[in-house]
Amino acid sequence: MKQTLRNPWIYLIMVVPTLVLYCLFFIYPMVTSSFYAFTDWNGLSQYKFIGFDNFIAIFRDSDFIHAIGNNMLFIAFAVVVQVPLIIFFAILIANVRRLQRLYKTMVFIPSILSTSVIGILWGFVLHPNIGPVNKLLSLFGVDTIYWLADSAWALPAVLVVNAWQWMGFYIVLVLAAILALPKEMNEAAEIDGASGIQRAWYLTVPLIKPIISVVVMLSIAGAMRVVDIVLVMTQGGPVGATEVMASYLVNEAMGVNPNYGLGTSISLVIFAFALLLTAIYQGTFGRTKE
Amino acid sequence: MKKTLMTVVMLVLVLTTVLTACSGNNGSNGNNGSNGNSATEGTNSTSTPSPTPTAENTEQPAEPFSVSLRHIQIGEAQKFRKAILDDVVAMTEAEVPGLTFELEGVEDSVNRFTKLPAEMAAGNPPKIFDLFGGEGDALKYGAAGRLLDLTPIIEELGLSDKFLNLDQFILDGKVYGLPIGGNTEGFYYNEELFASLGLTEPKTWDELEHAAQTLTDNGYTAFAMGSKGAWVPLMLVNTLIGRYAGPDSIAGLASGDATWNSPEVVAAFEKYGEWVEKGYFTKGELGFEYADMLNEFVTGKAGMMFDGSWRSSVFSDEAQAGALTNKVGFFTMPAVDGGIGDQTFVNGNYSNGYGFSSDLTEQELVAIKAFIKNLYSDEMQLRGLLEDGILPSIKLSSDAMNQVEDKIVKKVITIMSESGGAFSHFDSTVPSSVYKESEDLILKLIAGRETPQSVGDKMQAVQDKASEE
Repeated sequence: MKQTLRNPWIYLIMVVPTLVLYCLFFIYPMVTSSFYAFTDWNGLSQYKFIGFDNFIAIFRDSDFIHAIGNNMLFIAFAVVVQVPLIIFFAILIANVRRLQRLYKTMVFIPSILSTSVIGILWGFVLHPNIGPVNKLLSLFGVDTIYWLADSAWALPAVLVVNAWQWMGFYIVLVLAAILALPKEMNEAAEIDGASGIQRAWYLTVPLIKPIISVVVMLSIAGAMRVVDIVLVMTQGGPVGATEVMASYLVNEAMGVNPNYGLGTSISLVIFAFALLLTAIYQGTFGRTKE
Repeated sequence: MKKTLMTVVMLVLVLTTVLTACSGNNGSNGNNGSNGNSATEGTNSTSTPSPTPTAENTEQPAEPFSVSLRHIQIGEAQKFRKAILDDVVAMTEAEVPGLTFELEGVEDSVNRFTKLPAEMAAGNPPKIFDLFGGEGDALKYGAAGRLLDLTPIIEELGLSDKFLNLDQFILDGKVYGLPIGGNTEGFYYNEELFASLGLTEPKTWDELEHAAQTLTDNGYTAFAMGSKGAWVPLMLVNTLIGRYAGPDSIAGLASGDATWNSPEVVAAFEKYGEWVEKGYFTKGELGFEYADMLNEFVTGKAGMMFDGSWRSSVFSDEAQAGALTNKVGFFTMPAVDGGIGDQTFVNGNYSNGYGFSSDLTEQELVAIKAFIKNLYSDEMQLRGLLEDGILPSIKLSSDAMNQVEDKIVKKVITIMSESGGAFSHFDSTVPSSVYKESEDLILKLIAGRETPQSVGDKMQAVQDKASEE
């Protein structure tokens, strides 16, 4: 066995099939389809080469610029609101002595629900006339809020639902990291008189920094390609209020006036954005000391 | 030696992977083939069927085959037309040996704007599918060779001269789809609510606006509206354009004889915007679906609803209309002050029906012929009229038409017979890019992010660009 593993060809044999599949099903389609970004292909008619017209059209469209802004809001919400809450709940659950498994399961449940189910569920919860949220608010004299129909409320509503769906997954991830920490350190700090908050802030959080970094990166990547929850809840509406880059892509590439050429160019722009943001994060905050 | 062996092993592995990945389902069916040539492929694997099935065929067990059928008859409101479709399917299956239909119910706009365009692009639409006529649908797909030319089939079946209007499905003299019925769009109103507020069925524009204001003042929604799908408010906009800019304007917008930013067309957008500002429509309409609009009306929260005559069967069905059963009236949009042209024209469409894939085996073609024969028969068309309130798309005898008892359907027939003519919906006359822009802009107008004039100007800019192309 040792002899075999010393032979570099063995490694090549193991890697080549994966690489071939990767190239065949990922790189090749991506490169070939990128060609269509420079055409006016609508899926039916003969296409013609139009250079960078699609890219120019995208960046001239105020709706797309608005969609980029919404993606940035998704990222900001994920990093500023979601991640601290994830850490908070993970620490809370880690310190629970009873029914820890129950809490773990409960926070994880939204992550295993299909987005369609979540869309319908929250569509009811946020329904202006029969939804429990408005019923509750009406007890305090609050007027009917059209959560998903009012441009001012639609995006916050979608942000909250998206966070609700995915927080559980990240909580379990961070929780696993916390539970893997040696208990002795916490006990020693406790004996030294450190309060719970101090232990969490000065001990637990620094020790789980690598996993937090991963969670932040995944959140950024997730926020860049968020689309399903938007399509299910609002279809990018009302009037583009919740439009994100990917839903803009869906609405332009398919739908009333399909334009696959434009759609492909939007997908390339999204890819470039995601790559850039992830690289920036990895090059700055995400860098961990060896 | 070792190196050679390794190289051989590696090559075998790579080749296996590539070949496995590249292998398709050749010959399993004709779905992935290009148009037109799979009929021959299909016959290789199946017995050649007789073009007209007879009792002789039943002696030998026929080769089973299936035909995919995409319809939009889902939900309670469509139950009557689904029942008719089910009966046609059963009749056709009984007639064609070995045939099984694979029915798939999809929501109307999902089929029209999401699934079908993608399938058409990929070249694998269902064999039979719900299809709209006009530039953005049937004519576009027909030009791309995706639709079966039905001209010889309807000729063979003796249907060529029976259809009342095939305009929206004809391209270069070829018929690419068959409308299942006709319709007009107008106002439904709650008769009891109107009576309780001292209102009568509006005959003039002033009476209509007075009714809307009275309903609003009394805490009711004047016009139920679900604008999450932009086509819903565009129904009303279309008729407003037909009134303000004249019945010829709808076709004129596409031909260039009328412009979107002319004062007459802008007046239609202005009126819609004015009604939005006055709070006549459902609050939060941008978040409500088409089905929500009906719910609001049926539950008595709204006094009127602008919708197509295809909705009429709901109001004679207690399971759907509840307390409002047989207490709903229908009227066409009254003449507007200063409107151009004949103000008795109505919005009339024969635009929704069935289309058929051009990629068919001989067996599938036989099944489709039988399906058309059964669906577009006098019997089924009459059932559509009596049970579902759908105006027939083929000529029926006056005796058959006189069997109608439903008061809304009767009213619709009267309105259409008394009208000076009909104008279609602009979604079937203008290019898809223009229609898409109209969807975006009407929602922005409702949200107060565009003015009627800016809507007109932007629409015209897209129309000009489309005309240039």
